[in-house]
Amino acid sequence: MSNVQRTWTINGKQTKLRFPPGRRLLDILRDDLGLTGSKESCGEGECGACTVLVNKEPVVSCILPAGQLVNGTDILTIEGIEKKRIGRVIQQAFLECGAVQCGFCIPGMVVAAYALLIKNPKPSVRAIREALAGNLCRCTGYTKIIQAVKLAATRMPQRK
Amino acid sequence: MSKRSKKSDRWVGQSMIRVDGDGKVRGRTQYLNDIPYKGVWQGVVVRTPVAHGILKAVTLDPAFDWSQVVVATAEDIPGENIVHMHDRTMPLLAAVGGEIKYRGEPVAVVAAPTLALAQEAARHITVTADELPALLTLPEAIKIYKSAPKKFDTMQSKRIVKGDVAKGFALADEIITGEYWAGHQEQLYLENQGVVVFPQQDGSIWAEGSLQCPYFPVHELNDALRLPPEKIRVRQTPVGGAFGGKEEYPTMLIGYAALPALKSGKPVKITYERNEDILFTPKRHPVWVRYKTGVKKDGTFTAIECDFVIDGGAYLTISDVVMFRGILHCALAYRCENVIVRGEVARTHSFPSGAFRGFGAPQAVWGMESHLDVVAARLGKKPDELRLQLHARPGDITPTGQVLSSENGSTACLQLALKRSDFARKLKESSRGRLKRGQQKLRGIGMSFFGHGAAFTGDGEANFKAKGRVELALLEDGQPGVNIRVSSVEMGQGVHTVLTQIVADAMQIGPERIRYPMADTGLVPNSGPTVASRTTMVVGNVVHRAAGDLKAQLEAFAAEKFFKGKACELRTGKFVVKGTRAIPFAKVAQAMLTECQNISGKFEFLLPPEIQWDQGTFVGDAYPGYSWGVNIAEVEVDALTCEVAVKRVAAVFDIGTVINPVSASGQVEGGLTQALGYTIMEKLGTGKDGLYDATRLQTYIIPTILDVPEFDVSFVEYPYSFAPPGAKGLGEIPMDGLAPAIANAIAAATGRRINQIPITPEVIYQALHADSKGTP
Ligand code: FES
Ligand code: FES
Repeated sequence: MSNVQRTWTINGKQTKLRFPPGRRLLDILRDDLGLTGSKESCGEGECGACTVLVNKEPVVSCILPAGQLVNGTDILTIEGIEKKRIGRVIQQAFLECGAVQCGFCIPGMVVAAYALLIKNPKPSVRAIREALAGNLCRCTGYTKIIQAVKLAATRMPQRK
Repeated sequence: MSKRSKKSDRWVGQSMIRVDGDGKVRGRTQYLNDIPYKGVWQGVVVRTPVAHGILKAVTLDPAFDWSQVVVATAEDIPGENIVHMHDRTMPLLAAVGGEIKYRGEPVAVVAAPTLALAQEAARHITVTADELPALLTLPEAIKIYKSAPKKFDTMQSKRIVKGDVAKGFALADEIITGEYWAGHQEQLYLENQGVVVFPQQDGSIWAEGSLQCPYFPVHELNDALRLPPEKIRVRQTPVGGAFGGKEEYPTMLIGYAALPALKSGKPVKITYERNEDILFTPKRHPVWVRYKTGVKKDGTFTAIECDFVIDGGAYLTISDVVMFRGILHCALAYRCENVIVRGEVARTHSFPSGAFRGFGAPQAVWGMESHLDVVAARLGKKPDELRLQLHARPGDITPTGQVLSSENGSTACLQLALKRSDFARKLKESSRGRLKRGQQKLRGIGMSFFGHGAAFTGDGEANFKAKGRVELALLEDGQPGVNIRVSSVEMGQGVHTVLTQIVADAMQIGPERIRYPMADTGLVPNSGPTVASRTTMVVGNVVHRAAGDLKAQLEAFAAEKFFKGKACELRTGKFVVKGTRAIPFAKVAQAMLTECQNISGKFEFLLPPEIQWDQGTFVGDAYPGYSWGVNIAEVEVDALTCEVAVKRVAAVFDIGTVINPVSASGQVEGGLTQALGYTIMEKLGTGKDGLYDATRLQTYIIPTILDVPEFDVSFVEYPYSFAPPGAKGLGEIPMDGLAPAIANAIAAATGRRINQIPITPEVIYQALHADSKGTP
């Protein structure tokens, strides 16, 4: 299949790319652009380690054929999150709550938490659990991750 | 939280933010697959198609273009085809004409400039074998163990004997037996296994990878690669979870990658994707454990007889020590004069089982703590009361004859956990199989009590003498600081942070002046593998003493150069002598670095001389110290769907000094969650084809954020005073006891005893709908 051409906004930057339409978004991010913060663990959409935001929605980039994303798509990865105020708030809360162990799930977790908090700045524990249900962590037992998202919510800026 | 609280001048005991946290939350930490290696070839492992047989041929398709590919088979092994783990039986690759002992045993390694080409080439290799009958599972092996013990194939046997069980059974009012089973468990670290091997000009190799024990490959591949230890250098990359799964297995991967690397002169990387990682790496040992216990009417044990058999798979690898740890925990926690424990490692034609957090202890505790509730039920006693009555405490003698020291919080753990969970009341309210009007769910509460031997089993630490160094150096900002040089690996458990805290206190300098570079056998002394809940206790002590040594050297230098020979003390970052102006650490350190070379403090871990152990008879002090724990689980069982929800877990542990409370409770919550999966979700068997029957995350189900209960974690501190700052083991004990606590809670909820894990809804359905015989 011949390559397709797309222009997306990746972490705030207009980026022009050519790739075979079936290429996974994760491979474009990691291999073509060197954005290795998004991780691959299962490669089949089950673990959430590869979570990125596509037009503000969390998606698992390991099973997303990138050709499906049209011109103008807005993509935010863990590398872009820290440039956002809410992103830094979440990262700091993860550190303070001890929500990080091996760290392999954490970029996906932070991205998923960001996706939640930009829509719902005061989520209930139930809402936090549902928002992160697609993100596996084998280290922490999730408790401190929930605490971290709760702590971040208390520090959300008043106006968006 | 990263600041020391005002009240304390110590870092130990504070919840310092992890030193490796920032890179991890920003996605900047580079794990193996994130490192942009240049010119590295990709390796693919070619495997046997049968579980048992004779390897006939490994044939390369002549129509394929092999010019860009290197293929290594057993014939390319430079030395003897052996990986030297705990014995010398396992080949690195199965050889033509040799016996295949498990499905997927590697026969060749293909490497090529791209992964796609390597995979394509691997598909053009045909492996043929003459198949032989295979014994694939533990139940098959146990059938033989029971019916024809002489034919039972064991790779290692061991007995623990205390007193005389025959006498004990004669004294008993009742004899109560029970059998308990547990299946495989996959570690499921989120970062899959991977290594890269760089062949060097001088014929040596340099390997990097996601691994727990950098010195293992250095000493296990010498025969196969015909390289002495100093020609195998291993460096860890950041480890995305391990849990034992990256203990012994990375040696194999380095061996596999080394063959095409040495043959071609190209660096070769092998990384597994998830499916291959689940199918072809070691799992927790399945277990069958049988208890026969003699008891008095008042609850006292007169005799404990225990058979503990684990499925070692096709080769011993490290299973002997897993079994040893298992049998040492089978009757550890309760008072009894007469004990016999028999341990065996069954040989089957399945993938060699391996290390997984707990290392035999969770299997032992699963049996013992299930059985204790069976005993209590038979005697009409409450499970909490029986445990309070019988539990091991200071001055008691273990099955190996070890007198438990006073540094033992077993009683305190029990009392606190019972109180925090309101156990007695909730037990009374448990459903016992009867739904009250309006209820849809059966409710129950259950508990477990257990100890965990910290550090290597037996005389391991005495023989090993863990070494470590703390060295004065210029840090990346050009200012002086110290480097911690040990082989202990950060794999998420927080060792980089807690050892930094320990060194900060011992040196009296701030943690921001302390670095802990990744373990690299070219640069660090051997402080041992990152296993056995030994790091904070043993290596923590080593760096504490080494830092003290370095501090004394600095003080002597400062006294001479800055205080006219007057003794001074380094205190909170300054050298002080009463009546003179204090001099900052940086100034003295800078001067010393200019004048002297290789300034470092060193220490070698020793055990107190009174610790005695006989490896032959298994008599003596089995562990330098013990951690203790109590888990209490509250469950709901849906009477219709038979689904189990664990609602709340109270956990109390005595792990000695708690170095970092947030990090410690994180270890506990994570371990309990793995144990939750082990108990009710994670089902993994060996199929008829010799492969594991769950092969991906869609079929091997681990807990998600929706499954975790409310955790109530607390610590009672009974420090190990021989090894300041007094930590005992923490890493594994959270994995030890939740399975029986949940099974006991399910028994309280349903009135049915379930003696196998995982306890899936199907298992509960069968238990609820079977007739009631055999249940308490
Ligand atoms: S790697 Fe994408 S969901 Fe697991
Ligand atoms: S921190 Fe290790 S998987 Fe989440």
